[in-house]
Amino acid sequence: MIKFFTFLSLFIVVFLLGQPTVLAADADTESNSPIDIMGTVADHDYFTFFGTKLYLPRLFLWQDDNGSTQFSTYGSTKKALASGNFEQIDYVITPVKGSMLIDFSLTSHLLYFWFGLGALALFTMYAGSRYKKGIGTSTAPKGVLQNLFEVFYEFIRDEVAKPNIEGDKHKKYVPYLFTMFMSIAFMNIFGLLPYAATATADITVTAVLASFTFFVTQFSGTKDHWQHVFWFPGVPLGVKFLMIPVELIGLFTKPFALAIRLFANMMSGKIMIIAILGLIFIFNEMYGSIAAYGVSIFSVVVTSILYILKLLVAILQAYIFSLLSAVFIGMAVEEHEHDHDHEEHIHADLSV
Amino acid sequence: MGLLAAGIGAGIVAVGAGIGIGLIGKGAVESIARQPEASGDIRGAMILTAAFIEGVALFGAIICIILALG
Repeated sequence: MIKFFTFLSLFIVVFLLGQPTVLAADADTESNSPIDIMGTVADHDYFTFFGTKLYLPRLFLWQDDNGSTQFSTYGSTKKALASGNFEQIDYVITPVKGSMLIDFSLTSHLLYFWFGLGALALFTMYAGSRYKKGIGTSTAPKGVLQNLFEVFYEFIRDEVAKPNIEGDKHKKYVPYLFTMFMSIAFMNIFGLLPYAATATADITVTAVLASFTFFVTQFSGTKDHWQHVFWFPGVPLGVKFLMIPVELIGLFTKPFALAIRLFANMMSGKIMIIAILGLIFIFNEMYGSIAAYGVSIFSVVVTSILYILKLLVAILQAYIFSLLSAVFIGMAVEEHEHDHDHEEHIHADLSV
Repeated sequence: MGLLAAGIGAGIVAVGAGIGIGLIGKGAVESIARQPEASGDIRGAMILTAAFIEGVALFGAIICIILALG
C-alpha cells in the first residue's frame, strides 16, 4: 500500500513538474513605479531559478457550455491563453465559454510548500534510517544532522508538548507538533534564500496549516472540552446559553489567529526588506544616481540586520505556531475533576 | 480617506502592542532578576503571552492593509 502511494506521489510529481517551459523575461514591465512591492510578495505562475523564470503548468477542471466536465493541462499560462479556450481577467484565468470548477495550477508558493515538506521528509527519513541501524538507540547519536534532529525533537518534546499537554497524552501529539515546527521552519528559511518565495507569506498556506491544528484539536477533544463549549459548568443557567455562541466562535478564532499570525509575520518581514531595498530605486528615479548610491549604504546595512532578525523570526514563528497548537490541544484533551466546585475551571479563554 | 484611516489605525495598533509587549518584557525581566533559576519557564510564558498580543495587533494590521488596498 505504501509502495503504491509512493509510486503515485512520485508519478504526480514527475508528471506535473516535467513540463515547465523556459520563456524569456515577462512582458508586463510597463509599471510606472520603480519597484512593485505587492507584486514581489504575491503568488506567481512561475518559479524563479537564478533569475530565469520557469513557467509552471496550468491545470484546469472546467465545464464547457455543453455542460460536460473537462480536465485540461497546459505547459504555461501563455499556452493556456493561446489555446483559445481561456481568457485572463485581472490575473484570474477563466474559460471563454463555460465555467471554471477548480484551478489546480501549480504556483510558486505551492512549490515552496512542497520543498518545505520534502526537506522535512528527507531530514526525518535520514534520522529514521540512522535509528533503525542502531545509531542513537544503542550508541550515542552520530553526525551533525542526527544531532540536530535530536536537539529539535527533544526541544519540541520537553519544551512544547510536555508542559502544555497533561500527563502521558503528550506522547501522542509530539510527532504532529514536530512535523508542524520543522515544516514551517523549513518553509520560512527557504523564503530567505535568494530568488525564493516564502510559502508561509501566503494566507492559503497558513490557513491549511492552521486547519490541521483545528481538526487535530477537535478530534482529540474530550467530553469536558465539548461540555465547556455547549454547557459551560459552574455558571447560572442563563449564562450557559450566553456562553454557547461565545465558545463556538472561540473554537474558530484560535486557528484563525494562528493562520493570521504566521502569515502577517512572514509577509511583513518580506515587505519591509523589499521596501528598504526599494528606496535605492526610488531615490535613483527621484534624485539621480548619486543620491541612490548614498541611500544604498543605509539600505544594505539595514537589510543585513533585518535578515538576521528574519532568521530569528523564522524559527520563532515556527516555535510559536507549534507552542500554540500544543496549548490548544492541551486545553482540548484536559480532563477535569467534577466533584468539587468549578471556580478553578473558569479559565481565561486564550483565543487570540 | 481609507488610506488615512489605515495609517492612523496602524499607528494606534503599534502603540497598543508596544505597550503590551513592553509590560510583558518588564514583568519577565523583573521576575528573572528575582528568581534567576526559573528563567526558562518565565521565558516560555513571556513568548506565549507576547504572541497573543501580537495576534491582536496583527488582526488590526490586516484590517489596515485591507482598508489601504480596498
